Amino acid sequence: MSDVLLLVQAAADTTHAYRDFPLIGARAAVWIAAEVHLMFAAFVLGVPMFAVVTEAIGIFGGDERYDRLSKEFTRLLLVAYSATAIWGAILVFFLATLYPRFWAYLTAVFGTSMWVYASLFFVESFTLYLYYYGWDRWKKGRAKLWHWTLGILLNVWGTIVMFIANSWLTYMMTPPRDITPTTDPTTIKLWHAIANATWMPINVHRLIANVVFGGAIVGAYASYRFLASRTAEERAHYDWMGYVGNFIAISALIVLPFAGYWLGREIYQYDQSMGITMMGGFMSWLWVIQAFLIAVLFLTGNYYLWVGMERIPGAERFRPYTKWLLVVLVLGAIVWGTPHTMIADSKELAAMGGSHHPFLGALGVMSAKNTAVNLMILTTFLSFLMYRRANRRPVVPWADTGTRIQGAMFLVAAGIVLFYGIRGYFVEAIVRIGYSVYQVLAVLSCILFVTVIDILMARGAQSLGAIQWGKMPPRSQYALFILAVTFTWLMGLMGFARSGIRQYWHVWQVVEDTSKYAATPALGYAARMISLCVLIFLSLVAFVFWLGGLAEKSTFVSQGEARHVGH
Amino acid sequence: MWATNLKIVGVVLGTLALYTLIANKIPQVQSEVPQALTLGANVTPEQLVAAGEKVFNGIGGCTTCHGLGTRAPNLLTDERGTGPIGVRCAKREPGKSCKQYLYESLADPTAYVVSGYQPIMPVMTRQLSPEQVWAAIAYLEAQGGTVDVTGDDIAKAKQAAGPATAAGGGATPAGGPGLAGGSTDPKQIIQAAGCLACHKLEGQGQVIAPDLTHVGSRRDADAIRRKILDPASSITQGYEKLAGIMPKTFGSMMSASQLEALVEYLAGHK
Repeated sequence: MSDVLLLVQAAADTTHAYRDFPLIGARAAVWIAAEVHLMFAAFVLGVPMFAVVTEAIGIFGGDERYDRLSKEFTRLLLVAYSATAIWGAILVFFLATLYPRFWAYLTAVFGTSMWVYASLFFVESFTLYLYYYGWDRWKKGRAKLWHWTLGILLNVWGTIVMFIANSWLTYMMTPPRDITPTTDPTTIKLWHAIANATWMPINVHRLIANVVFGGAIVGAYASYRFLASRTAEERAHYDWMGYVGNFIAISALIVLPFAGYWLGREIYQYDQSMGITMMGGFMSWLWVIQAFLIAVLFLTGNYYLWVGMERIPGAERFRPYTKWLLVVLVLGAIVWGTPHTMIADSKELAAMGGSHHPFLGALGVMSAKNTAVNLMILTTFLSFLMYRRANRRPVVPWADTGTRIQGAMFLVAAGIVLFYGIRGYFVEAIVRIGYSVYQVLAVLSCILFVTVIDILMARGAQSLGAIQWGKMPPRSQYALFILAVTFTWLMGLMGFARSGIRQYWHVWQVVEDTSKYAATPALGYAARMISLCVLIFLSLVAFVFWLGGLAEKSTFVSQGEARHVGH
Repeated sequence: MWATNLKIVGVVLGTLALYTLIANKIPQVQSEVPQALTLGANVTPEQLVAAGEKVFNGIGGCTTCHGLGTRAPNLLTDERGTGPIGVRCAKREPGKSCKQYLYESLADPTAYVVSGYQPIMPVMTRQLSPEQVWAAIAYLEAQGGTVDVTGDDIAKAKQAAGPATAAGGGATPAGGPGLAGGSTDPKQIIQAAGCLACHKLEGQGQVIAPDLTHVGSRRDADAIRRKILDPASSITQGYEKLAGIMPKTFGSMMSASQLEALVEYLAGHK
């Protein structure tokens, strides 16, 4: 009899663990709510960073255009904040009603931090209102500095809010090892759960990714306003704004892979099987798609710069080199996208002649991929350097020497990258992993020192003519749209990778997913879900932009008002 | 402006369609939830092979090492000109059929370590149920060979293993022979327990966890015993992030005499 009672109890427990959602199912419902919420959250965290930096440039550089630009970004935030909160509430309601038992578990562990989260979101929202509505009131002197401090505070609150939310999701991935399925969640110390193995790597990774995302969305906004502009002056303003957005997005993107390596290493160190699932298991094909998306980002970002050089007097000097840069980028993209350790059945393996392709297998290893991506980063930096120097002729007496030193730095960095890339084939994996650090250091050092030399060389440089802002062909603006869509899609894909490696666990090896949606779907289904989420997000963002346009006229400043025409 | 708006929508939808299409064109692999495997006496070779493929690619974790070409021999493809495992298994050990060789390789992986590889494979009969083990063997036989696994093999293995493993593998049956067949040879215990999958000892094994070559110089016998029985009791400096990875089940897997033999052996590695 007691067995029967246990069975009845088990059935009752199962009934209350999960509920379904009409038509699309519970998993898809939570997926959409979480993803769209995350996209808006990234937007409202990335754009304030952008706004506060541009406001600072306006204050300390004395260029009012930056101040106006900053205000225009902030205006977009107001509606986006509401959307973030709405989607956050939808996510919570979905979790509480569709996954009630798991939600109860999470609240038992993280309840206190959820209260702090809600309070901080409240404080953050009011800081934003003060920041935006006080813009014109606190415009001069010391008041302006206080206003700027509000912008910094806005970022501080936002970052803490993000760190708190990150602790919940990273706990699901990498709960501390002493926590087992039998551990009573109410006995788990809050800080112990928060400070799990992947919490800080995710924090850093998302912080940088938000800057990239914010820049890309602002770039798309500017390109839309550029295409809709009725006057040359307005077009010039939004051309410049698009350039700034793209510049920030690509600059932050260059650093992002290093944060990604850190996160990947922590996942491997926490649980090798999870790392192998991610890189060599059922998710291995995902990285080929990722490589394709990154290739699109690099190629489109560089294309935008090359087209942009058409409106810079003096840029024709550099035009013959762009085709070689394109060759490096395409070759790099092909190597980076080469599959290596793939899940394959016996027929596929037999057709391939082994677990690796006899020729392409050699290009699919990390030695080749790290070399490729580092050379792509160097190439992109070279594109930017050419863009920057296009309308300037340095006049410092050591200009020729400086240029040669810069060239030598590029060659040395590329040489180091190639040397360790080739040597990596002849050493053990544990040694090879360390080589990627030398490659990265060579590239970052090159970027740093070449930039310093370039700034010094640009002092008093002879101008070959001002940049003809606004004289950009429309195709360049569509490139910015492709960048924004690709960044957003990539974010969805990486979110799937991070979440999917838990497989059939709500909390890795602690709380099992016993719902009918426990299996982790294949990439095709995930791609359709990601595209749907991106479409929902971009449609809502377009609505936000439209609302922003209704609320206030555009903020472009005529050439006469602008004191400097910067890059 | 409508034309521009339509172009923007076209670019956005086109980009999304391209990415979705590519992701749908590549091989589709779904990560399934491991299911308890039940194979009856009349199971067919086809059913065994199909179940074995799932074990091999899923819960067995075989692809973690086999197939990468570096950690362990290729099984599904040619290995140094000897063909896939189904072709070469019957020739590996004189007098042993393919089925015998594969079963012993899973039950005692250190018995036939292929030259050039390290003895890092765990005892699979401890991790998988008899059904899963024999299904995996059938799948491996099917790689170029003939499947001769039957329902009888599973039934015999269940009978030999006793009620605990018959239910799903993993635990040592009460009163059974235990780790390494009950041997008190510490080297056999170390190999059967799969210690070398993470630790290095006398030049063999991996360097994921602390090197045990001089473990006796930093831990006395009591500390070693405590560490084996309760791995979380102390963590070697520099390995804090690996805390919790070492299985907590060694205490229940070994007899007291095995534990003491192992402790004495490790403590002697000064």
